[in-house]
Amino acid sequence: MIKKLFFSFLIINSAAFAQSNVNPDISLLGTFNTFTNFNKGTPEYGKLNFEIPSFELFIDGYLNPYARATANIAFEDGKFSAEELYASIVRGLPLDIQIKAGKYLLGFGKLNTAHPHAWSFLNRPLFHQVYFGEEGFNDIGANFSFILPTEDFYSTLDLGVYKGDAISNNTGGEDADYYNVRGNSLIFVGRLGSFFSIGDFNNLDVGISASYGNYAKSSFYLPDSIGFPSQMLTYAYGGVDFKFKYKPDSYTSLVVQGEGILNNRDVIRRTELEPVIESITTYGAFIYFDYQFLKQFSIGAKYDFTYGIIGDEPSYNTLANDDMNKTQGIEYWVGYYPIEETLALRLGAQHLKFDLTDNLKKDTESTITLQLIFSLGPHKAHQF
Amino acid sequence: MKRILITLVILLSTYNSLAEIKVVSTTTVIADLVKIIGGDKVSVDYLCRGDQDPHFLEVLPSYMLKLRKADIVIKIGLDLEKWLPQLIDGSRNDKLKLVDLSSNIPKKEVPTSKVDASEGDVHPYGNPHYWLDPENAKIMAEDIYNALVEASPQDADYFRKNLSNLDSMINSKMKEWSSKLSNLKQKNIITFHKSWIYFTDRFGLNVVGNVEPKPGIPPTPSHDAELVQLIKKGSIKLILMENYYSDSAPNQIAQITRIKVVKVPNAVYGTEGIDSYIKLIDYIVNQVSSNG
Repeated sequence: MIKKLFFSFLIINSAAFAQSNVNPDISLLGTFNTFTNFNKGTPEYGKLNFEIPSFELFIDGYLNPYARATANIAFEDGKFSAEELYASIVRGLPLDIQIKAGKYLLGFGKLNTAHPHAWSFLNRPLFHQVYFGEEGFNDIGANFSFILPTEDFYSTLDLGVYKGDAISNNTGGEDADYYNVRGNSLIFVGRLGSFFSIGDFNNLDVGISASYGNYAKSSFYLPDSIGFPSQMLTYAYGGVDFKFKYKPDSYTSLVVQGEGILNNRDVIRRTELEPVIESITTYGAFIYFDYQFLKQFSIGAKYDFTYGIIGDEPSYNTLANDDMNKTQGIEYWVGYYPIEETLALRLGAQHLKFDLTDNLKKDTESTITLQLIFSLGPHKAHQF
Repeated sequence: MKRILITLVILLSTYNSLAEIKVVSTTTVIADLVKIIGGDKVSVDYLCRGDQDPHFLEVLPSYMLKLRKADIVIKIGLDLEKWLPQLIDGSRNDKLKLVDLSSNIPKKEVPTSKVDASEGDVHPYGNPHYWLDPENAKIMAEDIYNALVEASPQDADYFRKNLSNLDSMINSKMKEWSSKLSNLKQKNIITFHKSWIYFTDRFGLNVVGNVEPKPGIPPTPSHDAELVQLIKKGSIKLILMENYYSDSAPNQIAQITRIKVVKVPNAVYGTEGIDSYIKLIDYIVNQVSSNG
């Protein structure tokens, strides 16, 4: 055991400090969007609008025989950021554990770990926007991945601990003053996933995910906590996901993928006397299909549902705290991929319908987007 | 107590000598060669089916599971299997030995200057479709033999005997294949993808054009028109193509020029009845010679 621990220490040490003597893979992915909408009163209404182009610069390679490192520098909305920066120990550890540490897209569900350029559709699923934020569930921490001893199918258990920045964004709202930053409080994310090959042409991935932690502190004296300035507000997410792909040849494929989330959290609600902490439960889900009918063309459609009003000021301090209002979305698209994965052209439309309480009304929103994505360099294959 | 220990040691050593070497190959051609050389001392599985394009294999966890259980993974190399490192990482098998069969192959079409994507999907280390030359299959077999001997030295004689049988079989078939294709020597053909150079060089055929304007780039109407003119000008016998590509463009060219389109597998199990490397080359040679 001591020998194994010593060996593990050596590997971790070498992963952290070894220098590569060969160049890593470097690739650049650029995205240009142009759109128009039919939302009366908005400046974009009926006009051709160009978004600021965005790009992602990927640098990826082995540090040594046991470890890899990846950096993804993103330029979005005119700003640079390190979207991902992490090292992974991929082999050599006891129990065949893989460790990933740094900043990256977390494995809650299946879609979150895929970069948007790899999605079949153009718009981030609505519940991702509500419960994970505009950039997805992205945080700083470490993940421990265990491969399970299932003989006939591939199964992994991922357990991670994170700083929690992704979950604690206070986005305003009329009750925002009641919420304080949560301080140093870790969050936990895990996923149990299994992959099945059904014959030569069908593959299915199913998973369940969970996340738990404190997302904020209340900032007032509560009746049952006299003497304490504030109380931690917890959240718990549960998720299910699946992805099915039928691919009889390189010219035809059908992908059906869906995910759902259940959100349970403490929120602060006003009462006539004083604010109180309540527990709410909300949920969201999406499902889509993408049908590649020729080598270079695909069509697809996505249905979305979530609590919270997308694209509006949150009624509560975050969209995830909203248990009254709902958004539904339908998106459909056609994709053209002229030469493998080097270039993609997508034309898509999204319609959003809002369901507000208190007899309030919000008009439906429709947006048409034309998207061009290019991939320069040896961008590695996307995993199923 | 001593007797029990001795029995245990004997049992363990017997078990070890009976244990199969578990090999996973990236292609079915390699798998067949491993099966012939390894015989019953080896269990072999493959990743890319015979009817799939080995350039673009999806990174599936089921392939990681195969590699997880393997002792050796054998690849074609020359950047054909760009998807393999991800699968090896996903297998978490740190005992897995990687064998690259391209090491001793006399490579063709190795770029002499810097390559970039403007040239299409060019392999920077040379054309990787070398298994289509049966003489190269013998070099591949020798490398497989060496890998198996390293894994199980006590079976070296057994593997050597199987290797010799395979070499003899290929040598004897080479005479038959060369004879069948002798009428096409120095004759011009068109291929779909730039993947037949090892085959055509071995049997003396000339490749004068490709349906893909550049490697990996789908056919375009203007390039098809150029090929039509080329076919009309010269005596070009046929268009040779892999059966996993769409034959839409070749058939359009054939409709105008009456050239024959020969659609064949380039791997074992690429079509029904092709369950060995010898049968694969037999099938290709027969199709080419009968349509040439």
